[in-house]
Amino acid sequence: MSTDDRELLGRVITGDAGALETLMARHSARVYRLAYGITRSAPDAEEVVQDVFLQIIDKGGGFEGRSALSSWIYRITTNLSLNKRRGKRRELETSLDEMLPTFLPDGHRAGDRAFVVADWSRTPDAALLSGEARRVLEAALDRLPDHYRAVLVLKDVEELSNEEVAQAVGDTVAAVKTRLHRARMALREQLTRHLGAGT
Amino acid sequence: MICRELIAVLDEYLDGTLVPDVVIDLERHLAVCDPCRAYLATYRKTRELGARVGDVPMPEEMTTRLRALLVARLGNQRES
Repeated sequence: MSTDDRELLGRVITGDAGALETLMARHSARVYRLAYGITRSAPDAEEVVQDVFLQIIDKGGGFEGRSALSSWIYRITTNLSLNKRRGKRRELETSLDEMLPTFLPDGHRAGDRAFVVADWSRTPDAALLSGEARRVLEAALDRLPDHYRAVLVLKDVEELSNEEVAQAVGDTVAAVKTRLHRARMALREQLTRHLGAGT
Repeated sequence: MICRELIAVLDEYLDGTLVPDVVIDLERHLAVCDPCRAYLATYRKTRELGARVGDVPMPEEMTTRLRALLVARLGNQRES
């Protein structure tokens, strides 16, 4: 943890509002981004941000200072966000296997030739990030199982290393890498099913 | 290398963590396989899009609301 963060945390515990505001300015945007990425709900993400900082106020929430404050924040944000999702919106999640590429017995891709060679990667970003394509991408993210979405956000949005992601989700690096690859394949498959015909 | 094997290691290929011999096999396959070239291009693009879509800013009014709530909570805790 940087001396600055450690000092701020110490001051928060003694009731220093200015220190709390500085910590919030420094960390709340990433807490919200991660919480929203996992819960896919602005009200739930707001509650997570609130709960994370309440833990900080309550004597540092048990933070022991062995790692960076940001690592600790990623870990509790991930846990609180996954807890929020527990029992919610399960109907949106589909089996990941239905969202993965399929293969012929000889190991070649299965499916129509037009589908397996569809390359929409040169579609302008503006088109991919708006309208129908954006809707498909958001829906595909919604359908990912929570633990898959968590590693995807930690890795691709927060740009953590595989080791840092593993620490945040409390799993092995190997499990994180497998989940990450399956999550990306599932998103790619959904996008290709919707965009492929037009490419 | 066949398509199934290539797709299984695509992430590691893009991360540059595959051993050189496997990279050679993979790129030899890519040179002759249209579906795998399309898969690689769209997979790489999906990684970029996921990062872009996930970059969600915290609404300003939420920041203000939470700051007020938490500062009040801190004050209450100090008084108690």
